[in-house]
Amino acid sequence: MKENPYEPWLATVQEVRNEVGGQRPIKTFKLKFNDKKIQDNFTYVPGQCAMVSLLGMGECFFAISSSPTKKGFIEVSVMKLGKVTTALHELEPGDTVGVRGPYGNNFDVNGWKGKNLVFIGGGIGQAPLRSLIQYVVDKRKDYGKLDVIYGARTSKDISYKEEFADLEKRKDVNVHLSIDVKEDGWKKFVGFVPDNLLKVKPIPKNSIAITCGPPIMIKFVIQNLEKLGFTEDQIFTTLEMRMKCGIGKCGRCNIGNLYVCKDGPVFSYKQLKNIYGER
Amino acid sequence: MVDEKELRDLVKKTVKRDDVKYVVGYEKGTYGFQVTPCFAYKPEDADKFVFSPLCVHNLVVFPMLEEKPPLRKGEQPDSRKVGVVVKGCDSRAIIQIIQEKGLDRDKVVIIGIPCTGVIDPKKIKAKFPGQVKNVEIKDDNDKFAITINGKTHNIAKDELMPDKCLTCEYPTPVLYDILIGKEIKSNKKEDYKKVTSFEKKSLKEKWQYWEKQFEKCIRCYACRNSCPLCYCKECMVDQLDPQWVRRTVDVSENTAWNIMRAFHLAGRCIGCGQCERVCPMDLPLMELNKKIEKDIKELFEYTPGINAEEKPLLAMFKPDDPEDFIL
Amino acid sequence: MDKMILAKNALQKFIDELLKKNKVYAPIKNDETVLFEEIKKPSEMTLDYINSEYPPKALMLNQTETLFKYIPGTKGKIEPVNMDEDKIIFGIRPCDAKSFAILDHVFKSDFEDPYFLTKRKNTTLIGLSCIEPGVNCFCTSFDDSPASSKDLDILLTDIGDKYYVEVFTDKGRKLANTASKLFKPATESDAKKKKDAEKKAIDAIKRVQKTENIAEKLDKIFDNKYWKEVAAKCVGCGTCTYLCPTCHCFDIQDESTLTKGARIRVWDTCMNPEYTLHASGYNPRPARTNRVRNRVYHKYNYYPKNFDVIACVGCGRCIDLCPVNIDIIDVVTTAGEVKP
Repeated sequence: MKENPYEPWLATVQEVRNEVGGQRPIKTFKLKFNDKKIQDNFTYVPGQCAMVSLLGMGECFFAISSSPTKKGFIEVSVMKLGKVTTALHELEPGDTVGVRGPYGNNFDVNGWKGKNLVFIGGGIGQAPLRSLIQYVVDKRKDYGKLDVIYGARTSKDISYKEEFADLEKRKDVNVHLSIDVKEDGWKKFVGFVPDNLLKVKPIPKNSIAITCGPPIMIKFVIQNLEKLGFTEDQIFTTLEMRMKCGIGKCGRCNIGNLYVCKDGPVFSYKQLKNIYGER
Repeated sequence: MVDEKELRDLVKKTVKRDDVKYVVGYEKGTYGFQVTPCFAYKPEDADKFVFSPLCVHNLVVFPMLEEKPPLRKGEQPDSRKVGVVVKGCDSRAIIQIIQEKGLDRDKVVIIGIPCTGVIDPKKIKAKFPGQVKNVEIKDDNDKFAITINGKTHNIAKDELMPDKCLTCEYPTPVLYDILIGKEIKSNKKEDYKKVTSFEKKSLKEKWQYWEKQFEKCIRCYACRNSCPLCYCKECMVDQLDPQWVRRTVDVSENTAWNIMRAFHLAGRCIGCGQCERVCPMDLPLMELNKKIEKDIKELFEYTPGINAEEKPLLAMFKPDDPEDFIL
Repeated sequence: MDKMILAKNALQKFIDELLKKNKVYAPIKNDETVLFEEIKKPSEMTLDYINSEYPPKALMLNQTETLFKYIPGTKGKIEPVNMDEDKIIFGIRPCDAKSFAILDHVFKSDFEDPYFLTKRKNTTLIGLSCIEPGVNCFCTSFDDSPASSKDLDILLTDIGDKYYVEVFTDKGRKLANTASKLFKPATESDAKKKKDAEKKAIDAIKRVQKTENIAEKLDKIFDNKYWKEVAAKCVGCGTCTYLCPTCHCFDIQDESTLTKGARIRVWDTCMNPEYTLHASGYNPRPARTNRVRNRVYHKYNYYPKNFDVIACVGCGRCIDLCPVNIDIIDVVTTAGEVKP
């Protein structure tokens, strides 16, 4: 572990991929630590996050959206929304950023071996799920049935288009994409993600559901999962908050007595129901 | 002395009205010489209302702090009026805000109290330290009658009043819907004694004085939050893009903050002294505001917070405005 | 020799000895405001205070702290800063010393904060017992006393014409030994005088906050409309948070010119709506009610749940200086009596 948890390591941008354009563009950055020793020893589990900083601008807390099974780099997906993300969107390969991490808790990849996994994502919420999906696909034998449900506003807003295309070709993964509004040429489901979930009707027995997306989507997805028979400890989600230190000291990201940066961002629905606090 | 029963009855009547959300006034504090704002949502709450020389707070800050929480579907925003108990100086804040169109005149019910002077909490704490039980204070012409542990002390008002009361020109609220008691006229005049004597100092002395003061500032923004006229939705110090004042707390940024705030209040500050009273580090903020107030009076013959129909000073000009500083 | 006497007229000499090889921070008066600042001569110090308005936590968790320096931009570099600095804090009250121990929990858990912990390691605390507590002091509500020895290295208690000196730690002994010729051994009657002074101070504290089972009681009333009444008066300034010895929230900002900069950490206040504002515009604590409630819960419910200690030492600064007299003693005592 680092001696000084506030000091980032330097990393170089290897590749910048445009995922989504328009009003709120999303880009994926492939980062590699400058120091090879740090890159080799940077171990993390899907669900964990990193603080990426642009020196002079600030830092943001991002879910690491690539799986640790892909060695030699980490990827973060960034939506352009505020001061730091706008500056990050100007980055090009060869630029230096600061990275510190990994922070937060992770998805229980060991405890979920042998179970069926249902991933429900919306918009940029797919980023943390992507890390987990890549991981279980790389270790396909260890897990049961895999259902990936993902939706965006329009077909242009779908992130990770090529990866979804690859996943759809696989016979051992079921992909269910959707868009909110009818479009010419779109033959798959049209409607909101929670409704697509009801149509897919995953079976709760021996299953775990993981969801991430806008707060309103999470609310209805959890409602529908309960309708389908999933219990509180079968439903997991990742939350986000405004963060500054990322290590549970600056106090702002708390929900009740839990800090989203340190005790989260992965929470089970059972945990969320039992803590008092605004979220 | 204000008739507290009359005050309570009038507040009860106001709260009972369909178009009034609540009335904010004063109630007994939790210890010693404290008095605290009290919100009456129901007529029974009005029984807590008091008015004594300890009521130094400017309550106009509360109608300006109204938050607009997100509404559910079909829910209408609550646009009822807010009642507020004001003294003479406080009422000028309402007039100034109405002038600037920060508040509609019909959104507020003004319960005016002609004021015979209040007590500066720092001065009375220094005179009678260590009071835990609530203290009775009565107004007695030119003295305050302070009863502690059964013994009554009669202290001359001039000894305990804050500076603003010594030169108060508007003891009766200038604008009101209801007046409790009779109008009071004042023969005092604002003479800017402190400001004039400070102006005579050399530049080096002035800077040394203020540097020592600004070193103490902890940027808690109590001055800004308690000021009824600081009601910007996003204050300049909270802006990050562009960042006008850095978050670092040192003499340079503190000077920038305090002086910029004084300038943002130029022609608007009505001299209630709330900023100086609430500052935990005892910065003499009114000296800055009084200096600007004096300059404005001399240059433009304008006094803020007197006439609600007037335009705000910095939003208008007159053809004969002084321009000797432009070449 | 852990219990000694220091004659009152030898205090200046003691401070002189300390100043020879150490940085000493002591209470000073800037006009009427008492602050803990570095002194170069004993005459700069004042003993005429109940407690400083500005808490000495500023000496452990600086209001503005440089985390590291950097060269800004996309081809940037990072330069770490030095953290070692030995110092002595003289005249700290037992409640403020306890607050450091409370803050230790946050800065030690999970990731260790080198800035705070290095300062803690390199600082020696010489406390001064309160013989005249303030109106709003309530350290006794937490089973503490104005002459408590917890978390201090050395404690001085005024027993008339001399100070009763108690040394508790090795750090304290090392320091006391540098001035050993100024101390005399304490007698039984001196020890009794200290106990009497302590009792007198404890009896002088009139206000009590009821904190029995407060964490469980608060669990039941999170959605109660009581918090709306408490928060109605709050103007959201931040005075209570900055003056509180156990508040530790901070903001991290990058401040730079075109060619160089520093990442700094500054105190922040949870009373500011921007504190939890997401970039998307969503704010989980949009109203003052949420924020005031969060502050009370953080001190009396969340902190006890995480670290088994109430994050309040009873110094009373927030009560003294709140512009609208929001009184934490009353707020919490009444909260304990609200029916869920």
